Amino acid sequence: MNANDAIVHTSKLTKFYGKRLGIEEVDLDVKRGEVFGYLGPNGAGKTTTIRTLLDFIHPTGGSATVFGLDTRRNSIEIHRHVGYLQGELKLYGNLTGKDLLRYLGNLRGGIDWNYVKKLASRLDCELSRKISTLSHGNKQKLGLVQAFMHKPEFLVLDEPTQGLDPLMQQEFYRLITEARNEGQTVFLSSHILPEVEKVCDRIGIIRQGRLITVETIEVLKSHAVRQLEIHFAGAIPKDRFIGISGVRDVVVENDMLRCNVIGSLDTLVKVAAGFEVVNILSHEPSLEEIFMTYYNEDKNNVK
Amino acid sequence: MLNNVFLKTLRDQGRSLLFWGIGLVAMAVIMAFVYPTIKNMPSVTQYLEELPASVKEMFGAGIIDYTSPVGYFSTELFSFMMPLLLLIFGIGFGVSAIAGEEEKGTLDFLLSNPVPRWLVVVEKFGVMIVSMALLAFVFWASLAICVSALGIEISLLKLAEATIGALMLALVFATFSLFLGCLKGDRGLSLGISGGLAVLTYLLNTLGSIVNWLKDYRFLSPFYHYMQPDTLKNGIDAGHMLVFLGLIVVFFVISIPVFERRDIAV
Ligand SMILES: Nc1ncnc2c1ncn2[C@@H]1O[C@H](COP(=O)(O)OP(=O)(O)O)[C@@H](O)[C@H]1O
Ligand SMILES: [Mg+2]
Repeated sequence: MNANDAIVHTSKLTKFYGKRLGIEEVDLDVKRGEVFGYLGPNGAGKTTTIRTLLDFIHPTGGSATVFGLDTRRNSIEIHRHVGYLQGELKLYGNLTGKDLLRYLGNLRGGIDWNYVKKLASRLDCELSRKISTLSHGNKQKLGLVQAFMHKPEFLVLDEPTQGLDPLMQQEFYRLITEARNEGQTVFLSSHILPEVEKVCDRIGIIRQGRLITVETIEVLKSHAVRQLEIHFAGAIPKDRFIGISGVRDVVVENDMLRCNVIGSLDTLVKVAAGFEVVNILSHEPSLEEIFMTYYNEDKNNVK
Repeated sequence: MLNNVFLKTLRDQGRSLLFWGIGLVAMAVIMAFVYPTIKNMPSVTQYLEELPASVKEMFGAGIIDYTSPVGYFSTELFSFMMPLLLLIFGIGFGVSAIAGEEEKGTLDFLLSNPVPRWLVVVEKFGVMIVSMALLAFVFWASLAICVSALGIEISLLKLAEATIGALMLALVFATFSLFLGCLKGDRGLSLGISGGLAVLTYLLNTLGSIVNWLKDYRFLSPFYHYMQPDTLKNGIDAGHMLVFLGLIVVFFVISIPVFERRDIAV
């Protein structure tokens, strides 16, 4: 395996469940050492992509490689170097957390138990109780521990922060950052933008089974429409705010200005600074708004 | 006990095996202890003699004769109750092995480890054989102890052979239900079809002994190959045994490619 080659490479990867679309012609590359966010609303095809990569389901078209290995032919070799967290995590309820981790460790031919204990205590994991008696969040922590515990080259995490309280989410982000520092590659799916924003290097956006775009966070945000509301000390002239590049839908009501901004805020802020500014309210673009931006561009490009 | 899929599955069977074992032992003990009483009750023997031939046929492979231990144990234990219990356990296990785990949602989780699908089927099949053989052995052992203690004259070897016959019959259906689980991860479907098939083939054999036009199809029923040799009297019949073995091997072997090829449900 070459150090610079892609960890994941798919070409026209397609999965239909009978007539129902899962994903269609997805061309995706995940580079070695990056944290890749796979962003899309529910039903977009995130889980379908992940389960195809791990060969739990078989593509109806196209192909995919992980570590340069064909997912259909070398799934066992791939699994050996992957840590996986299921989307809707189900664990063996009759085992204790400790038994579960031991079992999985054995299936992987033995693991460093000290590291497992360290991970478990970092995530404040309940190991001695039967899994069936654990809360959703505590199960999710166990799921995270088992994904990380064999220090896999590649972490595949399907909506990993589901059910984690904010404190544990922070710990999770630290884990991800450490993993990147260790040279591990992470593929993380989510339907919440702020979540992937925090830790991901690049983001792929999937919607209705199609990969719409793959961008770095910065580029993605610069494309996004941001809603801005500026309050001034007194009335302001509307015409000064018309025609600034990237600024649209300008509305002025006495001492308040409302507009949508694409990309840099710089010019707008500089113009506003000519007046006495009382308050600036910025509404971060929601995922859906970013989708709409890309979705519309997508459609426009097709035309 | 958590070293591999085989041991983990066996461990999960622990409690279930305990209770089924107790049930089978209790059945063997009760049947053995009741025998001396029944044997000496003229009314029972007379009542049985007066039953219509077709009814007798449905209970055993011919004549019901409670005055001989072979006749009694054939009818009371081996013709119905004992294979039925093994069959229920076996189908239950076969259904839960793959389809059960899949419906619980843990199959993804298990297969994300470097464990090939075929190996999971092999290991679960192994647990099926081991646990059913264990139950059969416990049943035979307790029966053997009881008949020896009570001085009932019956060959322990023949009892073992009849038990093996029942075990093989149950394994046919158990492996079939495992196969259905591999084909489609639907517990209800697997349970329904294999249970239904057991009932239908049982009826085919018993009715086939009465209804003329069914006679020629009796050989299609595994129960025919179980009842026909009258194993407790004659010992194991290689031909009928081979039919069981053939069916078990076929169902097991086709389970693997079928499971390798399909999608795992979430
Ligand atoms: N087993 C299945 N059978 C039929 N349709 C499915 C199945 N699994 C997923 N789908 C469909 O595929 C699409 C993508 O689903 P999924 O990959 O689970 O989305 P996500 O993980 O992004 O929420 C959805 O429309 C979903 O209804
Ligand atoms: Mg999902």
